[in-house]
Amino acid sequence: MTSPRPRVVAAPAPEASARADDALAFLAELSRSLAVSLDLQQTLSEVITRLRDFLGVEGIALFLFDARREVLECRICSGPVDVAGMRLAPGQGVVGRAAAEDATQLVTDAANDARVWRAADEATGFATRSLVCAPLRTAAGPIGVIEIVNRRDGRPFSSADARLLELVAAPAALAINSARMAGELLEQQRLKREFDLARHLQKSLLPRRRRDDFPVLGVNRPAHEMSGDFFDHFELADGRIAFVIGDVSGKGLDAALLMVRAAGLLRWIGKQGLAPSAWLAQANQELVETVREGRFVCVVVGYCDRAATRVQFASAGFPPILVHRDGQWSEQIADGPPLGIVAGIEFAQHEVELGDGVFYAFSDGATDVRDANGARIGLEGLRALIDRHAQQSPAARVRALLGDLRRMHLVDDTTLLLIQAPQAELPELLYTRVLPARADALRALRVELRAAFDAQHIEPTLRDRLVLAVDEACTNIIRHGYGACGEGVIALRALRHDAVLTIELVDSAPLTDPARLKPGTLGECRSGGLGIAFIDTIMDQWHIEPLADGSGNRLVLCKRIESWSHAEADEA
Amino acid sequence: MTANPNEILREDASGQVLIRLRGEVDLSWTQDVRRAVLAAFDAGKPVGIDLSAVDYIDSSGIAALVEGLQKARAQGLGFALVAPSAAVRAVLELARLDQVFKIVANAAALTAPA
Repeated sequence: MTSPRPRVVAAPAPEASARADDALAFLAELSRSLAVSLDLQQTLSEVITRLRDFLGVEGIALFLFDARREVLECRICSGPVDVAGMRLAPGQGVVGRAAAEDATQLVTDAANDARVWRAADEATGFATRSLVCAPLRTAAGPIGVIEIVNRRDGRPFSSADARLLELVAAPAALAINSARMAGELLEQQRLKREFDLARHLQKSLLPRRRRDDFPVLGVNRPAHEMSGDFFDHFELADGRIAFVIGDVSGKGLDAALLMVRAAGLLRWIGKQGLAPSAWLAQANQELVETVREGRFVCVVVGYCDRAATRVQFASAGFPPILVHRDGQWSEQIADGPPLGIVAGIEFAQHEVELGDGVFYAFSDGATDVRDANGARIGLEGLRALIDRHAQQSPAARVRALLGDLRRMHLVDDTTLLLIQAPQAELPELLYTRVLPARADALRALRVELRAAFDAQHIEPTLRDRLVLAVDEACTNIIRHGYGACGEGVIALRALRHDAVLTIELVDSAPLTDPARLKPGTLGECRSGGLGIAFIDTIMDQWHIEPLADGSGNRLVLCKRIESWSHAEADEA
Repeated sequence: MTANPNEILREDASGQVLIRLRGEVDLSWTQDVRRAVLAAFDAGKPVGIDLSAVDYIDSSGIAALVEGLQKARAQGLGFALVAPSAAVRAVLELARLDQVFKIVANAAALTAPA
């Protein structure tokens, strides 16, 4: 660093004792201003300008390590020669030594000190007489070095100067570190926003669940932010329904990007209505030409008719297809290699008479799930899980299955596609019980209902309110329905249909006049009508109707459960 | 759970009567609760109903408390709910009666000037 010879002598340095007092005030002021700065460049300029003036030096420079800690780069300097951008290896020159040894270096006579790297002066034409370098220390080691060169009064730096530089280096290092961390945090937040956008976009590429009589149902659960799995279904002009389920090798962002490409390609080819074998052959050709670095795509493609009586499909390296029919399982193992590896492959084609059976295709994330002993559950484990929920409607079965898999621990992207003849979607029975219409039966009912609602992940506040509504309904039937006419029973069922909870209470009491069931006004200090008012407030809808044969009443309470709506949206 | 976990305790002090309820207040028990609440006014002193150990209450239990409040007003006596549990508070709020009843943190607050 530089000052052409003969040097210009600047204002004399302050006296030592006055300097010590000033130093404290200066440090306090510097720390205060550094503490509020989160902008690195601004932070560095402040440090440099203030220090140069305060210390009365000709040159000052701040070197910081690069991200990989391989190079010390001068990020900012102030003095007759601009050395910003100068790069030093750790250990190189006095600056490099201060960093490598994590120790302050004082050079009183630069011309005769072996530590000095002379090439710097030769390059700049500057004459360094004396210098001090102090490491910028953090808990994780030095992040750089601060260097001062040549006192303006011409005297060499003393050990008091070195101590002073050490003192100011501490808050400077802290401020630089904070600014860096703030910068990293901002960058992380930006990346997260980008990731969220990408995830939403990727999810939006999957088809939404069809509510009409549609035979194909798919779900996808990414193991991380992005998924390498996908599924698709769409209708052709001739009435056939095309389906795709695939799994791209690898995980993470690169797999997700290839997934987007593969899914688009397979959909585009599938729209032509080619036979499944030709569909795969064409997609394979295209992917072999464009996919790099040993990536590949495992996939099943095929068609079914609207009634799902017959499924035609071809597989490329995908896990076996499972068909469940009349209580029997059959497997169809993939006979073609994954797409994107070898050109000119022919894929075999299969056809299954489905009848009232179910066609399942699972990505390997489902079979890779670990059981309690840490072993893969495999196809056998998966079949056992499906058997447990076989009686449920497709949507409820898929939900239950995913719930089981998640509880066991999903390690990979998991996707499943199910084909089954459409049927009127039956509500899922959550709880059923016939209880005596007596007040002393209510406590046990409440305990069981709470457990049933907990099992359905209904949050506790809502759960307790629902239990209260059912309790009030039973109380009403006991007091006013059966009342004087003695004992009877209440048949209670709790059902789930999509995101709606329905509770049905059937009694054999004399017919109730619905007009008699008027909710009281809440907040009024009256003891009547409160139970109906509770039901009215807690539930979305309720009504009472006579049984068709006139043998009693049916009270129906309905409530949309928001958390169930969210879960449905996730599956769509 | 014991056969009958419900319990009503009456504590007569010099300046007040405290009824301590424990258990679940539903149709099977409200008549007993109602009688105990109404009988507490016989002493002609302010009445407090301790609900800290009540795990559940339905509209029939709330109705018994409302009757107590009505009787207190008619007789010009103080009436308060003492330390209601979270479950009781939730139902009082649902009934929008949390502002109607005087609710105090402990029995000592019963006789304190308002």
